[in-house]
Amino acid sequence: MPENDTRRRDFLKYAGGTAVAAALAGCLGGNDDEGGEDTTTGGDGGDGGDGGDGGDGGDGGDGDDGMDLPDFPVSVTQGNMPSGLDPHDHRETPTDVVMLHAYEGLITRDAEGAAQPALATDWSRVEGEAAAEFQLREDVTFHNGDTFVAADAAYSINRIVDESVGFASPQSDQLAGVSGAEAVDETTVRVELDGLNPIVFSEFATYCDIMQQSWVEERSKSEIGQQMNGTGPFQLDSYTQDEQVVLTRYEEYWDDPAQVSELTFEAASESSTRVNQLLQGETDVIVNVPPQEVNRINNSDAGSVAAAPSTRIIYNAMRYDVEPFSSKQFRQAMNYAIDLESIVSNVLGGFGAQTGQPTLPEFVGHNDDVDPYPYDPDEAERLVEESGHAGVEIELNTPVGRYLKDLEIAQAVAGYIDELPNVTATVNQRDFGSLVDELLTGNIEDKPPWYLIGWGEATFEGALVMTALLSTNGALTSWSNDEFDSLLETAGNSTGDERISALEEANALAHEEAPWIFLNQQFSVYGVSSRVDWEPRSDERIDAYAMSPAE
Amino acid sequence: MSFARFLTKRLLQGAFVVWGVVTIVFGLRVIAPGDPANVLLPPDVDPEVRRQVVADLGLDEPLHVQYWEFISGIPVGDLGTSLTTGTEVTARVARSIPATLELAVAATVVAVIIAIPLGVVSATNRHEAPDYGATLFSLAGISTPNFWLGVMLIIILSVQLNWFPTSQRAIGLPAVLTFLFSGELEAAGAGFVTWLWYITLPAITLGTYFTALITRLTRSGMLDELGKTYVRASRAKGLPESLVRYRHVLRNTLIPIITVVGLQLGTLIGGAVITEFVFDWPGLGQVLINSINSRDWPMVQGSLIVISVGFVVVNIVVDTLYSYVNPRVGFDG
Repeated sequence: MPENDTRRRDFLKYAGGTAVAAALAGCLGGNDDEGGEDTTTGGDGGDGGDGGDGGDGGDGGDGDDGMDLPDFPVSVTQGNMPSGLDPHDHRETPTDVVMLHAYEGLITRDAEGAAQPALATDWSRVEGEAAAEFQLREDVTFHNGDTFVAADAAYSINRIVDESVGFASPQSDQLAGVSGAEAVDETTVRVELDGLNPIVFSEFATYCDIMQQSWVEERSKSEIGQQMNGTGPFQLDSYTQDEQVVLTRYEEYWDDPAQVSELTFEAASESSTRVNQLLQGETDVIVNVPPQEVNRINNSDAGSVAAAPSTRIIYNAMRYDVEPFSSKQFRQAMNYAIDLESIVSNVLGGFGAQTGQPTLPEFVGHNDDVDPYPYDPDEAERLVEESGHAGVEIELNTPVGRYLKDLEIAQAVAGYIDELPNVTATVNQRDFGSLVDELLTGNIEDKPPWYLIGWGEATFEGALVMTALLSTNGALTSWSNDEFDSLLETAGNSTGDERISALEEANALAHEEAPWIFLNQQFSVYGVSSRVDWEPRSDERIDAYAMSPAE
Repeated sequence: MSFARFLTKRLLQGAFVVWGVVTIVFGLRVIAPGDPANVLLPPDVDPEVRRQVVADLGLDEPLHVQYWEFISGIPVGDLGTSLTTGTEVTARVARSIPATLELAVAATVVAVIIAIPLGVVSATNRHEAPDYGATLFSLAGISTPNFWLGVMLIIILSVQLNWFPTSQRAIGLPAVLTFLFSGELEAAGAGFVTWLWYITLPAITLGTYFTALITRLTRSGMLDELGKTYVRASRAKGLPESLVRYRHVLRNTLIPIITVVGLQLGTLIGGAVITEFVFDWPGLGQVLINSINSRDWPMVQGSLIVISVGFVVVNIVVDTLYSYVNPRVGFDG
């Protein structure tokens, strides 16, 4: 019996013969109940269009169809299910993870975050104009069999940035600085920019999934949210909202077909449930393994833990406009007071990296000469005295359960600071929703003076992190510094080395001025079954195209 | 009072209860912290995009308008649209009902099958070893929190011994019935076994507290009845002891038990939340937790309406049964 989708496999154990299996498989793939309004099968191609892989019935037949491609089903369990299947109508990572198997962008990223060609083979700025051009790959087909052309790419870009095309996409700011697109010929698309937009190709390497214009236009909004028709290595087989998405290998993919034959996405919000499913062989990849569960997985035969630095930075913001955090010495003291190395190794079980600047090492603009603050409680005590705020009481606001070990990190930070003889620190546990409400009013006075929060930036652009979190007009800023603002402005109006050196300088300045207590770069920690060969990526994508059967 | 009048009265009362629940829940969103748009969108989203999303979701309407839109849809079965997925709440909630009902009924069946014989044995062997055993069991059952029991069962019976799946629901009873009615008997049988295999641990977890409760109720009820004069009279008439115990005493004991079972079934529909969470069981409890976390108010309201309707219906059924078991109770209540 093939190592198959477990739920189906368990069932077949009882069902016995392959004849029954064929009769049942279609049902178990998705629609358990009668009221299947939310259940749909794949795009136009349907069962007839997907060629000779035997469709669903193949699972029952011991996988010996005489094809070169392996029968290798994989299932992935995330914390949440996708909110829908429209790639332009969401802002969540779990949804994105599913989308990116069926839909592709013009540019993509490799596991380390470097830009790589996808549907575009070449891209460049148009000399002397506020525009960019993409040369598109030929002989690419959508899952319904139609050929991908430049008009589809232009339509997809416009569907995101232009409200009048389709709907108001919540992703319009992901393509900030892009005002529209048009097809120049069958394989060239021209993108209009507002000004220079130095990060335009970074944006396209992370965002903007390409859909087929006619396919979208023929469907209602809710149909688009329940079907898929992309160019990616997997096509939709069945979708049961909030329960399961099943994708199958798209054999006409423009690159080599995937090793994985069938890819199932499910969700379990409780981390111990996910770990048990992995240990029991019911799923192959699970997300967000908490440090205390790592040994349970590594000591089993079922699989092992794999981790990679993510694009998320965890930090403590200190509002520059209220005492005692208005004092630079006090803010520096807070950084000297904590033993970050110990927090990373003990609280996070080593699944984290220390930071000393707002930009992560993998990002554009990281300053390699800046190190994290060392642990020096004596220096911290001295700086607190110097700041004139000795004896102060401060309270750290932290969300609970939003980031890996967020509460424990906050307690450790407050604990170290509380150990200083001249500062008293406590932790205030907050509901994430209400904390974020306070951070997002656009008014700095509404924010708590001192809070823990995390920030992920999928574009690998340090400039975006610093603009949002530390510039005077940033959406979530807690700081204002003229020199810092002007460095960011320089970076925004330049390209190449000039831009990089302005960003590096801004990072050095942020380190020195210490608007944050710099904490850890969060790691993505996965549990991976021993039957799957896969390395985690730095951008929180779970790329099943890169998976292969373990030897 | 006729049965029809009784039913009408109870239905009207029930409708009032449901309306009350809905209104309170709607009111909660005013006090509860957390803006759905902030949960839905990442913090860095452009303020203009945020405004657009809020407007699309209808969250910028005045509260009384939102309330009226919501209330006026209920009679025609329109519970609104989910804020996170944009799909119809009614369809989503309806799809999760079978899973929750299956679990609640299975837990009740587990409880009743174990508890009533245990209670009877306990009562008829008062202060003997079986009685102590049963009392100890029910004490342990009542004191065991079901999230802990669920996790322990998974670790021991699934992960260590490999006897049961850890979680999820591979197939639902509706699908099994579909096979049955379309004549695919083999498939229906296989499906049913799979269903049973998946539901065993959650049903035990959810049913344990309940088992303990009914055992104690049966025991004390039996003891109570056994001391009554009609029992002595029946025995004096020479009725066999088994007839006395099971025909007369147990039947009288069942009256309070039916009430409790009924009330508990209502609680189970709404109270399976933790068990569903631990076992990743795709029922109403999951929907409720996920929608609270994402501040998906229409979905929260929809699942609570269903839960409160379930409670009301179960209560009406219990009252009806009650008068059937004990004819002295009429429909006057």
